Amino acid sequence: MKTASALALTPARWEQAASHFRSAGVPTRRVEDWKYSDLAKALGDTALSEATASWKLGKLPAGVEMFDLAEANAPDWVKTHLGSLKETTLSAASLAFADGGVALRVTGAVETPLTLEFSGKGNLRALIVLEKNAALTLVENLSGSEQRNVGVEIILGANAQLHHVRLAPAAAGAIQIEEVAMTVARDAVYTAHYASFGGKLSRLELDIALEGANAQAHLSGVSVLHGDSHADITTRLSHAVGNTQSTQLFKKVAGGKSRAVYQGKVTVTQGANGSDSRQTAKALLLGNQAEADLKPELEIFADDVKCAHGAAVGDLDADSLFYLRARGIPESDARDLLIHAFLEDAMAGIARDDLRDQVRTAVNEALAS
Amino acid sequence: MLEIKNLHVSVGGKEILKGLNLSIAAGQVHAIMGPNGSGKSTLSYVLAGRAGYDVNQGSITYNGEDLAALPPEARAAKGVFLAMQYPVEIPGVTTMMFLKSALNAQRRSRGESELDAIGVLKTVRRKAAALNVSEDMLKRALNVGFSGGEKKRLEILQMSLFEPKLAILDETDSGLDIDALKLVAEGVNALRDPSRAMLVITHYQRLLDYIVPDRIHVLAGGRIVAEGGKELALELEAKGYDQIVKDAA
Repeated sequence: MKTASALALTPARWEQAASHFRSAGVPTRRVEDWKYSDLAKALGDTALSEATASWKLGKLPAGVEMFDLAEANAPDWVKTHLGSLKETTLSAASLAFADGGVALRVTGAVETPLTLEFSGKGNLRALIVLEKNAALTLVENLSGSEQRNVGVEIILGANAQLHHVRLAPAAAGAIQIEEVAMTVARDAVYTAHYASFGGKLSRLELDIALEGANAQAHLSGVSVLHGDSHADITTRLSHAVGNTQSTQLFKKVAGGKSRAVYQGKVTVTQGANGSDSRQTAKALLLGNQAEADLKPELEIFADDVKCAHGAAVGDLDADSLFYLRARGIPESDARDLLIHAFLEDAMAGIARDDLRDQVRTAVNEALAS
Repeated sequence: MLEIKNLHVSVGGKEILKGLNLSIAAGQVHAIMGPNGSGKSTLSYVLAGRAGYDVNQGSITYNGEDLAALPPEARAAKGVFLAMQYPVEIPGVTTMMFLKSALNAQRRSRGESELDAIGVLKTVRRKAAALNVSEDMLKRALNVGFSGGEKKRLEILQMSLFEPKLAILDETDSGLDIDALKLVAEGVNALRDPSRAMLVITHYQRLLDYIVPDRIHVLAGGRIVAEGGKELALELEAKGYDQIVKDAA
């Protein structure tokens, strides 16, 4: 059993994270947040790995500072922020078990997108700090692995902008978990698109706190699942102060015996008047045995807010299908067209054309397979 | 061109058309008028091949072929076009992309070469201008946010683009003000052709002031109960459906 960490943590902080995970253990379906994703069952007899996974960074653009978490002599910004945000049982595990990872600090407005890839087995940590007025486009790629648990902390300073595109290719047999905690300061904007193609158990969990006036988070995602794959996106979004905005739009296509999960909880805290939140999740089931669990939730403790949420699970619209066929489009082409159209509006929000095309290509490949 | 004999159609187990006979020759425009619930829309859907409309008895022969045996896309490729009462909205598919896909799918099915994007664009633009279909409408998602008039104009644009042999217009006048109605009617009249048959389905006589039919059939209770020339529309307007149905009985 591991007794100390290579990361820049005080012994007390490490002890706290280790005992958090060791006392709570791997979440079971009795834990509300894990109701639709049975991690214990997916792990079977295997324990959660205490190894350290790998990461690879693309060419570092000017304005981005990098620190390898496996190294000693961490700079102050790493010591300040690492392990500072809200923790879940599994992010406690990655903090306690990972002996490496990557920390990025952005100080200016960076144009060139930066790629970050996670691979290998075990735990990993990432820390991303955008200072005041900084801007970055981050492209996150995952490559297959039997079991990985990544803990990510993102800190957006005042007026910072982070565009995040995450591509999680199909990873048959793999358990891939990523737990993201984030704080968004005043006037800062987080825009993200998560494309996930499932695994034995693939889960992205986000805890986002909008902490300053006019802080914004705009999340979108698509999922195309086949076979017996499982993809879960769980979000917790808190409007901690007023005049903050959040949007969420998730579209999922599930075939075979696959299972698509979306749980999204939006909380508007007391006094956070002028908060504006919209949340939509839709799933298209293409197989009799496919399943989608969509659970948008709202908790409002303020008086003057605009909040909307909706979820729908269904088959392709019969009227639309008939309309296209009556215009000469063969049934299978009409179905394809409608499936693409269903996913398209969730991809429309990706700001950069090249990244939108990259996601579209991945989606087209997944639909064709 | 179209020969319907003793047609019985049920929807969800309930018989709606009960022995309908109708014959339309190329170059003719026929109108079907009838009260609500008489089976007008059922007739249009069964001709276009919508699932769930079961032919229990009788026949639909189109250019010598059994139309009821074909899937909707094959009917479209063979020249059957239904301008729908309620055109569907499809977010995520632009109108232009839809027109191109549909046109080329029909051409492929007929063994004709596909048109390239520029060729389709040129043809669509030319025809769109005549129907007051804006460039903006072509760029937007299919029918999404279109007004009632815009949707109907787009239906007629499709008819003009696909150049069908048999065009069925289901309540194309519903929801249109008089100016929109005139524009749509002009579009339809421009497509009258010795080689083309049209079936105009409507509840009101108003549309037939602008699209003057060669023959009018009154549909009630799933059957044609009266037939006549264009003057029959005026008689219907004056007497109402109840009287005509009673007179016919």
